[in-house]
Amino acid sequence: MALSIPVSEPIARRRLPAWLRGAPWLAFLVLTIVLVCAVGGEDILPDDPNGLNLADAFRPPFWAAKGSAAHLLGTDNMGRDILSRILAGSQISAIVCAYAILFSGCIGALAGMAAGYFGGIVDAVLMRLIEIQQSIPSIALALILAAAMEPGLTTVIVVIVLTYWAWYARIIRGEVMTLKGRDYVNFARVAGVGTPTILVRHLLPNIFNTLIILATLQVGQVILFEASLSFLGLGIQQPDISWGLMLADARQYITSAWWLITMPGIAIMLTCRSANILGDWLRDRLDPRLRQL
Amino acid sequence: MSHWRASLLAALLASGAVGAVAQTPKPATGNLTIAFAAEATMLDPAKSAAGVDQYFFGQIYEQLVRPDPSLKKVNWLAESWSVQDDGGKPVIDVVLRKGVKFHTGDTMTAEDFAFAYNRLRDNKVSRWSHLQASVESFEIVDPYHFRIHFKQGDGSYVADNLQLWAMSKAYFDKVGDEEFGKTPIGTGPWKFVSRTIKEDLKLEAFDDYWNPTQRPTVKNLTVKIIPEDLTRVAAFKTGAVDWIDAVPPALVEEFKKMPGVTVASYVSPNNMYIAMDAIDENVPMHDVRVRQAAAHAVDVDAIIKGVLFGQGVRYAEVGPGELGYDPDLKPYPYDPKKARALLTEAGFPRGFDIPCYNLTSPREPYQKEMGEAVFAYLTAVGIRCKVQGQEYGAWITFGRRDRPGHIDGFYSNMWGHGLPGDAGTAWAGHVHTYVPGAGWGITSVHSDPELDALIEQLKATMDTQQRDALIRKIARIKRDRVAGGLTTYRPVVTFAWRDNVTFIAWPTPGFWRNLQQIGLKQ
Amino acid sequence: MPRFLLHRLLQGLVSIVGASIVIFLIARLSGDPILILLPNDASPQLIAETKRNLGLDLPLWHQYLIFAWNALGGDFGRSYRWQMPALQLILDRLPATIELAICGLVFSVAIAVPVGVLSAVRPGGWTDRFGRVFAMLGQAMPAFWVGLLLILFFAVELNWLPAFGYGGVSHIIMPAIALGWYPVAAQTRIVRSAMRDVLDSDHIRLSRALGTPEHWIVWKYALRNAAVPLLTMLGVYFAAMLGGAFVVETIFAWPGVGRTVVEAVFSRDFPVVQAGVLFTSILFVLSNLLVDLAYGIVDPRIRADR
Repeated sequence: MALSIPVSEPIARRRLPAWLRGAPWLAFLVLTIVLVCAVGGEDILPDDPNGLNLADAFRPPFWAAKGSAAHLLGTDNMGRDILSRILAGSQISAIVCAYAILFSGCIGALAGMAAGYFGGIVDAVLMRLIEIQQSIPSIALALILAAAMEPGLTTVIVVIVLTYWAWYARIIRGEVMTLKGRDYVNFARVAGVGTPTILVRHLLPNIFNTLIILATLQVGQVILFEASLSFLGLGIQQPDISWGLMLADARQYITSAWWLITMPGIAIMLTCRSANILGDWLRDRLDPRLRQL
Repeated sequence: MSHWRASLLAALLASGAVGAVAQTPKPATGNLTIAFAAEATMLDPAKSAAGVDQYFFGQIYEQLVRPDPSLKKVNWLAESWSVQDDGGKPVIDVVLRKGVKFHTGDTMTAEDFAFAYNRLRDNKVSRWSHLQASVESFEIVDPYHFRIHFKQGDGSYVADNLQLWAMSKAYFDKVGDEEFGKTPIGTGPWKFVSRTIKEDLKLEAFDDYWNPTQRPTVKNLTVKIIPEDLTRVAAFKTGAVDWIDAVPPALVEEFKKMPGVTVASYVSPNNMYIAMDAIDENVPMHDVRVRQAAAHAVDVDAIIKGVLFGQGVRYAEVGPGELGYDPDLKPYPYDPKKARALLTEAGFPRGFDIPCYNLTSPREPYQKEMGEAVFAYLTAVGIRCKVQGQEYGAWITFGRRDRPGHIDGFYSNMWGHGLPGDAGTAWAGHVHTYVPGAGWGITSVHSDPELDALIEQLKATMDTQQRDALIRKIARIKRDRVAGGLTTYRPVVTFAWRDNVTFIAWPTPGFWRNLQQIGLKQ
Repeated sequence: MPRFLLHRLLQGLVSIVGASIVIFLIARLSGDPILILLPNDASPQLIAETKRNLGLDLPLWHQYLIFAWNALGGDFGRSYRWQMPALQLILDRLPATIELAICGLVFSVAIAVPVGVLSAVRPGGWTDRFGRVFAMLGQAMPAFWVGLLLILFFAVELNWLPAFGYGGVSHIIMPAIALGWYPVAAQTRIVRSAMRDVLDSDHIRLSRALGTPEHWIVWKYALRNAAVPLLTMLGVYFAAMLGGAFVVETIFAWPGVGRTVVEAVFSRDFPVVQAGVLFTSILFVLSNLLVDLAYGIVDPRIRADR
């Protein structure tokens, strides 16, 4: 596999390892910034993201007329600092992405491995579950679930996990089915290695790359999915802030105060694009077979 | 402001001109397409579930009494009516207008009102059966004269335009229940042509309409449904529609500056308020000082100006124009210092945490933001809101008392009461103590025996002047004790139309959407 | 072939039944419609009576069996809110949504195929770059934002297209773009990588060696083979569009089933939710079945495989 590249190159050569050449540095940079903002907590916020100041509402970004250095990206309809809100939103977006991806990835991987490895009745049942999941429109499912639970962070995560596990499961299942036929798995089985060991020791490392790639590709989807939920008022709720919520709330002012929707929109675009570029790059590096994803 | 006033005057003059030649009204001509933000569900007044249904059936059906554009109640299908006394029990005596025709051509008679009464009373059909609960019997005196006998006084009956809608018995007998709801037949200025759910309602001016002076002058009217604010605005700007309702507050100023466009704003009969749990002794708002602190904590005027672009009217208990409006009754002034002092006095020097429920589904413009702003102001003085958003279905059930549990904090709510408006029925629902199964206090988290007695007295009072005095009295107590929640504002609805359209805003009984006088400039 | 079809049909049926159970259960978790339905002063007796009339007092499994039995006969119950058959409400709105989903799919494929092919043939060329940027924008903008921007530009500024509503071809252009833009990126990727694989394959090399014109190779031989992976995904994309249509329907005042279902969820109108979701599931299963059939036409080898 591509990762088996010597990690320690002679320092004297001062060149990047081959597998890092052509890496999408800009995408890395953007994602690092987002992550730093996300873990930075309240310390890095220039202003209280929920600090109401009606007298200072609709202040444009600093470069525009009437803009102010106190609010670099301007203020929203309630006079809240947009930069602070975007930064605070990155925290929530990161939390949603992390949990949603972790859980849907784990559940999907487990289901996919079980279906691919055991085949037969296990596969048949799991495949039906996957198809049931895919045949229910995800937004409808999300909507009913959000109505059944209280809308908010937890609900958004649950909804996304329920929607996306099938996607992981389907792809992992295919992977495992091919891997299962490989000699080393057969050898292990013949040598009397137990099923759990085969799954964990021999199969999991091999599908790990796929999981990483799927996860990076999911980042953008999660953010947009949350935005759709926010459009209906069923996404993240105040006082939590998400970019999707900012975008959905700001659509009222798209003509009268363009920066309200544009600023979080740019944050979403940059993050989605960076995550996708990173995913693309990882895929090309790690596993060209997955290029079609 | 002066711009739309001038246009309104012009429109009034234009309609006056129509009135001058009214003896033989010119038949309506031409086509007009307009857009509403919200869509009605039921077209049958008895089966209607929400006020928004009147946007559609209010064009087709009419009542005995109605408010005119100045919100004065005028006799409409009733030629005259009065409350009389029949051995201690009240009776409403109604003489019908003669020569009123249904769209089928049948003449409207007392039979039709007997039918309407029976239909509205039947709780298998009607969602409004409780409004007929105090009626004892319906008596037809002659084809144009009937009497409604009451078991006891029922003020809401009078306040709500005598409740009954003119529904054709002959038509119902002919087509049956299903078709009756699908293809409505009324006496109104508009005949039903067709509707496509989620798309439009098509109407045609009724040539045999009984009122020749106050009627549409355009023949064919299409009402498009465009829920998204900016799309509706775009439809207007591109000329696809020539009249829209609910101009988004943020764009009202822009609309006022548009050449060739008239804009008119009206206060809608929805009273926004913040309910607070006062019945649970362990909840701080049980203490009147905490409720008063909350009232002092919120700068409603600033929120209206900032969040709502001024498209709201602050009110204290009873809004201007409503029955019992008292100009001397002022809302609590914004005074965060006093709010903190009151909290300290009540034993909460460091404030407290409390759940705050906010409706997030669009209902009134920017309502979610308004709730957020109110809760932010509360938090600022130490009433630390844990805001919880609720979508419509969860929200409406959450506020009800006939579910397990009740509102355990602050809850953004509203009460509608039609136009011009009478608070009696609404207060019976959210100020009076909850009495299971009796209709009292169905959304109330308050309990005050003195107010309960007054509200019950108000319910039984049918005389308008006595009602006025009682409402003033209750409002004063309600304000002082911040009972039944903190009143905040009434939203303003803005209509815009192009100058080729003539329009005078009439209310349906409930809301400003009646197209009684709309037409094209000749 | 018929055996394979029968097998797929059976699997599809299982999925549909499964989906109906899931929706039935979750919908009922979302709360009780009774308090939304009844007047404010409804007595406890009336509440109980209404519950009984609607069958909401029975155990869930019993309610489901009644629903399933009636649904088999085409009766999905009456909408609580609209007081008309839920099936009729959904079927009346369904064509508009299907039309929208198909047009959205056509738009995305119409962009993804040429961009994917050209970027595989000439990576780094202007179509490749432009295509990538275009695809990226769609992938990073929520549909409601795209929709509003389209309206502001093409309807309000240029006055080329109607801002809203259902009607002729001009009405569907913007909704189709708003709906179909998002999957363009993913589809482009599928086409591009499949094209690369095919163009590297032996039989294309052979054709080249034999002097077949390049455009002929690219657009006929290669694309025909590269279309298979895209085709396999079309069912999923179609379903995603049906499901995601409600945002676009709301923005463009499109009289579709998505808006109807969303409002039904808000008002706990279970029969409408069930009928709406079930029909979307049926469409998903059917479109996957069609895709399976289409394989055979595009790529006869697959037919032999099965």
